[in-house]
Amino acid sequence: MRPQLNRLDKDQAGNFSGSFIDRSRPLRFRLDGRLVSGFAGDSVLSAVMASGIDTLGTYRDVPIALGPSANPAIRLAGRADEPQHALPMARTPAIAGAEFVTCGIRRSNPLARLFLPGRTLGLELDEPHALDRPWRRLAGTPSASSDLVVIGGGVAGMEAALTAARAGLSVTLVEASAQLGGHSGLFGTQEGEDNPETDMARRRDAIAANDAITALTHSHAYAVRPGLVRIHRVEVKEGKPQGSVLDLPARHIVLATGALERLPIFAGNRLPGVIGTSDAHALASRYGVWPGEAAILATGSNVAYRLAILASDAGIAIGRILDSRPNPSSRFIAFSRAYGMVQTPGAAPRSAGLIKAGGTLSVHTDQAGTEPMLTGRLLVCGGWQPDLTLWHLAGGRSRWHGRHHRIEAEGGLDGIALAGSAAGYFTRRGCIESGQDAVNALLGRPRAPVQDPVIDPIHESPDAPATITEPPDDAAPAFLDSGREFLQRPSPPPRSWTSIFRRRPPRNGLVALSEAPQPLAIGDVAAGVDLGLIPPDAAGIVAQERVALVPLLPPTATIPPPEDEAVAEPVPSYLEGRFGGDAVLVRIVPAEPRRLETGALIYRNSDAANPLQAVGVVLRPDGDAALALMHRHISRAGLPVSVRDQGRAIAARIESPEN
Amino acid sequence: MSEPIADFAVIGSTPLARLLAGRLAGSHGRSVLYMGESQSSYRLPRGLDLSVAPITRPESWAMLRQGIGETVKLIGRIAGRGAWSHVDPLFFAGDPATAEALGHMRHMALGFGIAAEPAAPTMPVAHRSGIVLRDALRLNRPIIEPALDQWLEREGVRRLAPEGVTIAEDGSAVLQAGGARFEARQAILADHDAILAHLPPAQWPVLLRRHPASCILTTPARPLPTPVMLEIQSGITLLQQNEGGIAAIGLQDMASFSGRIQLLLGRDRQVEQAGQTSFSALATSDGAPALGRVGTVGADVVAGMGMAGAFLAPALARWLCGEASPFEADWFGARLVSRAPHGPSVAEYAPHISGTAP
Repeated sequence: MRPQLNRLDKDQAGNFSGSFIDRSRPLRFRLDGRLVSGFAGDSVLSAVMASGIDTLGTYRDVPIALGPSANPAIRLAGRADEPQHALPMARTPAIAGAEFVTCGIRRSNPLARLFLPGRTLGLELDEPHALDRPWRRLAGTPSASSDLVVIGGGVAGMEAALTAARAGLSVTLVEASAQLGGHSGLFGTQEGEDNPETDMARRRDAIAANDAITALTHSHAYAVRPGLVRIHRVEVKEGKPQGSVLDLPARHIVLATGALERLPIFAGNRLPGVIGTSDAHALASRYGVWPGEAAILATGSNVAYRLAILASDAGIAIGRILDSRPNPSSRFIAFSRAYGMVQTPGAAPRSAGLIKAGGTLSVHTDQAGTEPMLTGRLLVCGGWQPDLTLWHLAGGRSRWHGRHHRIEAEGGLDGIALAGSAAGYFTRRGCIESGQDAVNALLGRPRAPVQDPVIDPIHESPDAPATITEPPDDAAPAFLDSGREFLQRPSPPPRSWTSIFRRRPPRNGLVALSEAPQPLAIGDVAAGVDLGLIPPDAAGIVAQERVALVPLLPPTATIPPPEDEAVAEPVPSYLEGRFGGDAVLVRIVPAEPRRLETGALIYRNSDAANPLQAVGVVLRPDGDAALALMHRHISRAGLPVSVRDQGRAIAARIESPEN
Repeated sequence: MSEPIADFAVIGSTPLARLLAGRLAGSHGRSVLYMGESQSSYRLPRGLDLSVAPITRPESWAMLRQGIGETVKLIGRIAGRGAWSHVDPLFFAGDPATAEALGHMRHMALGFGIAAEPAAPTMPVAHRSGIVLRDALRLNRPIIEPALDQWLEREGVRRLAPEGVTIAEDGSAVLQAGGARFEARQAILADHDAILAHLPPAQWPVLLRRHPASCILTTPARPLPTPVMLEIQSGITLLQQNEGGIAAIGLQDMASFSGRIQLLLGRDRQVEQAGQTSFSALATSDGAPALGRVGTVGADVVAGMGMAGAFLAPALARWLCGEASPFEADWFGARLVSRAPHGPSVAEYAPHISGTAP
């Protein structure tokens, strides 16, 4: 059995004790035959990570981190490898006694898993469909209609649901995790605000007490159009987790999908041990999972300092905080100084590398003359990007905002409104008010301006763009985003012949983002802008163009049948005028028994082979002869001609003009 | 401040447009303004550049065969060996009339020295017939686009990103860029996007029809029989990308197109969409190219050149400068955008051409 190496001790964990788990109810299950221990309330992913497994597998021989942003589908052992049995590792509750297997792993040797190193799931991520979500190929089961579907159970989504319910609407609230609440806990409080946990709990209780709101947790929305949302939901029935795809009809839809954390671009930015602050906070606050006892932070955002403080409160040693901004200021920075954390402004990681299989990272910075730092964990934050994935799927437009370094929504959609961080708001107050505003906008009610009181930049430095550092030679790959698509920084190919004699091949095969065969996550597109691969003006259209669309046909639409078969015309239009305006149809008989092919060209003699000199063409077989179109002046009966067919000159004669 | 009046303003983003602008300036000594975005490295493809095409007229094949050598030599010099790849495109069909057209295309290709074979029965899945054309060249747009842009600069083409473009009835153009005014005696709308964006509606030729068009990119799927496949009765092109995805491009609206692609690729391919876009494209009512001045005095348009148009760019530049060979002049002259509907036919295979005038 795997001990829970990475579970924080409850008595010392503070805010990281794990609000989703019940430590009084331990459980065990198997994944790919390995015994994993956890607690009631764990997801399969959190229990696996608590047990010390932090590696998905390898991509081009480089290990890749396992985490909330990138994890595989699983299924119960014994069930067929069919889409309806696939379950998301992060949304599937850990069930005592269950036996799970990961889906779609291509192993050359079936015995290989017996010899896997302890940290890895052993996926071969070079396989394009390794992290597929097979349920996306299933049709949805129609579900009961509601007046409003809210996607996202953070503070904005919860406030939208409560506002709509108060207005007399029936509401379905869709949340991917096991509980409503979202990620406000990471962002702390501003003056006049409640503690985020208190705020979330109050709204959660209000929703639970409101019969007009149906909250669907463990549910992920992945397709949307005006009037319809498709979700994948995991439920536990008779002690077993089951997935289902549901189509939720609704007159109105609120997208409160939050913000995604950008990944700084440096070599080794997805190695095991490297994790975004949002994922790290979610694992710690919900499940008490935190690998290792020490960490380094690399950020351009103040939020990471709050994570450092919370981690320090939980007994984690924060060795250093690298901040890409030269003179950052924030209340969180002041607090972290008070905690004695060493800060290095104007610095970013240049590369990370694994120095031993057990998982110690070596982090090189972009500052000249500095020694590499050793750490068990590198927490990174490249800023925040509104999650507009569903907005783009629904047909919404967006544009690059230069000052905010991110893609923001613009324009509107019938029956669909954005709220919260997805709508571009920065503060908790802004997110809450925007939840109310989204409902008011959808219902055509009077709207009040949304207050989003961002603290003066003198006191709270704005987020910097995600850092980009040039990778050293032979370093691990640099990825553009931390999601399930492994999009590396493209490398232009060498131009000259001499390049084939150079030792080093291009870092990866991708020469342009347009060649990438995977959907581009919105973080990939934002990174593309930062890298100069996508002009800022085109960011919105590229993000919309490269979103992973699951077509939702309107009720009246069906897949069109194949085109009616066209009937061959006697003389097709593309042959008109080819042999003069008065060309004639003739029967032509080969001198040897054979079938003359359609399109075979007819010449006056066997020496000619230039199509420009052809005097006719075979239209189609006609018994033992063929019908041909020819110049009128050489269409006399009995005239010998030559047909060029299959590379040979075939003697033939004109039998009779057809008229 | 006014700039000297240029001879041509070339507007268009395709390799054809860039090659045309560069040739007009470099080989024919004309002053050229160029306006065109470089999008192929980040946008989904809307077309491809191939050295063969589903054409049936011998004079068109002859023009293409002449143009390939000259164009490849030019592009090789500009962008290096990686500018193209060798492919064996498969043209396939599902009905008798289209199968007949395939036969004419195959024999025409053979007549011009291109190895063209009937496809093995299993190749065009669920289709009756197909032909494979051996050793065609496919231009690699993401590679050549930046190289062509550098070449344009070397050739003295002035590249503009104007805020406004006005095309007069006499074909002259005024471009406003960066607070300056640029004029050209003759505008050349060198691709469909340029025509749709800038041709005044009052000058719209009856020959041109606007069609809804779509492109879908799939996640990596089981490889196609060949990297380039064209269903000629629908005009749907399937492109196997280097990284395993399949790009499908066709003249259909997205709803119809998505269903059609699922049918074409077959249930045994694990296909998810990795990208999709809708746009407008043009087609001519007889399937043949449409070139020259609209209304005989307006802007020059370059429409309906199909997938092989880039290989005709040097010849087109000669014709526009009055330096074409008699054969080239005859070919272009027969395909004027102002040609009479009932004049000598230059029609190519063009099923289901309908569309609407804008």
